[in-house]
Amino acid sequence: MDEPFGETHVLARGNAAADALAPQRDARAIPLGGPDGLDRHVRRDLRRQESAIALRYAAHATATWPYTAVALACFAAWLSFFPLAVAGILPLWLGCALGSVFVAGGYVVAHEAMHSNLGQEGTPQRFWNELTGNLSTIPLMLPFSMVKLMHLLHHRHPNDPYRDPDAIHAAPNVAMAVVQSWLNRQPGKGGTAARWRRHCAELGTAEAKRALAELMIAQVLSLAFLFAMAWSGYAIEAALLWWLPRHIGLSYIHAVLSWAPHHPHGGTGRYDSTAIIRHKLGLWGSMGIDYHLIHHLYPFIPVHATGAAYRELKPLLAQRGVDVSAR
Amino acid sequence: MQAVLKKLFYVMPLLFGIGFIAPLIAQTMAYWDIAAPYGMSRLAFGLAIGAPWGLYAVWRGRWL
Repeated sequence: MDEPFGETHVLARGNAAADALAPQRDARAIPLGGPDGLDRHVRRDLRRQESAIALRYAAHATATWPYTAVALACFAAWLSFFPLAVAGILPLWLGCALGSVFVAGGYVVAHEAMHSNLGQEGTPQRFWNELTGNLSTIPLMLPFSMVKLMHLLHHRHPNDPYRDPDAIHAAPNVAMAVVQSWLNRQPGKGGTAARWRRHCAELGTAEAKRALAELMIAQVLSLAFLFAMAWSGYAIEAALLWWLPRHIGLSYIHAVLSWAPHHPHGGTGRYDSTAIIRHKLGLWGSMGIDYHLIHHLYPFIPVHATGAAYRELKPLLAQRGVDVSAR
Repeated sequence: MQAVLKKLFYVMPLLFGIGFIAPLIAQTMAYWDIAAPYGMSRLAFGLAIGAPWGLYAVWRGRWL
């Protein structure tokens, strides 16, 4: 590999090792035709100022235990839906609506764990980071290992049509993004599962092989649960508490959390692969996706702190020529 | 083990059609009090829809 990859690379951005790891730290922010008017020394100085600000909002400088607490509570609630619905205590429509929110919200919390923001390796908090990640992706029927691997690959090659696993979500508008999300879930060669298998084969690491094995096990176990529920007379409960919320949640994740901040999937550089946006669902409705540029620049900043970090970073980014117009 | 799982996943849409769609159709019909046509049981009707649909998904690589 020509560049460092994975958690180390992603986490290292902005700390003391950032200068050594960032391959194009002196390059222009956006490779447009005209010069940005900055020489390499100014760009380097801006980058240092950026990093200093970012570090103040880093996960290690803020409390992230609420992510774990909320994730564990929501997972316990989600599990309880099944007996409660079977007993006729929980209305299925309510279970379906809450389940959909938990699927999407679970991904957002797991996302923090993917970047080790809930506990870095070698710390006592690491257990909670891994537990949160592993539990939060169960409603998605996906193993944390695979979701994390693909997400870190997305960070390494954002918007690259061949190497970014999330590039499969590209679409001309949000309606087509939802349609594309559905098409990606089809079992054939053009689907996400086939693409993930290709990415894992190309990575060829033990981590990738393990993630692939865990993906198959997770899918077999979750489908076996659905089949058992269905043949025991609870097919409608299984459909409305897990199957449908999973599909609604995945559509949301793909259209809101992946498509919107990367549309039109053009730039592949550090500063132009995503943007600051104003999502129509609002900051809460979009689960904080508005400041996705800050996340890609400094993944160690937890999502709740990206807004404050953005406001402080904005002048520096603008000086660099970065689009901070919040389109 | 992994080879077995790969083969299993190849036919997973068919298994999904039989294991999930068929009983889901049958139980939804029962919930809405809809009788199956041609004197079939609801489950047989569900299987008559779910199994070919799953087979189609295996064959075409897509559900629709």
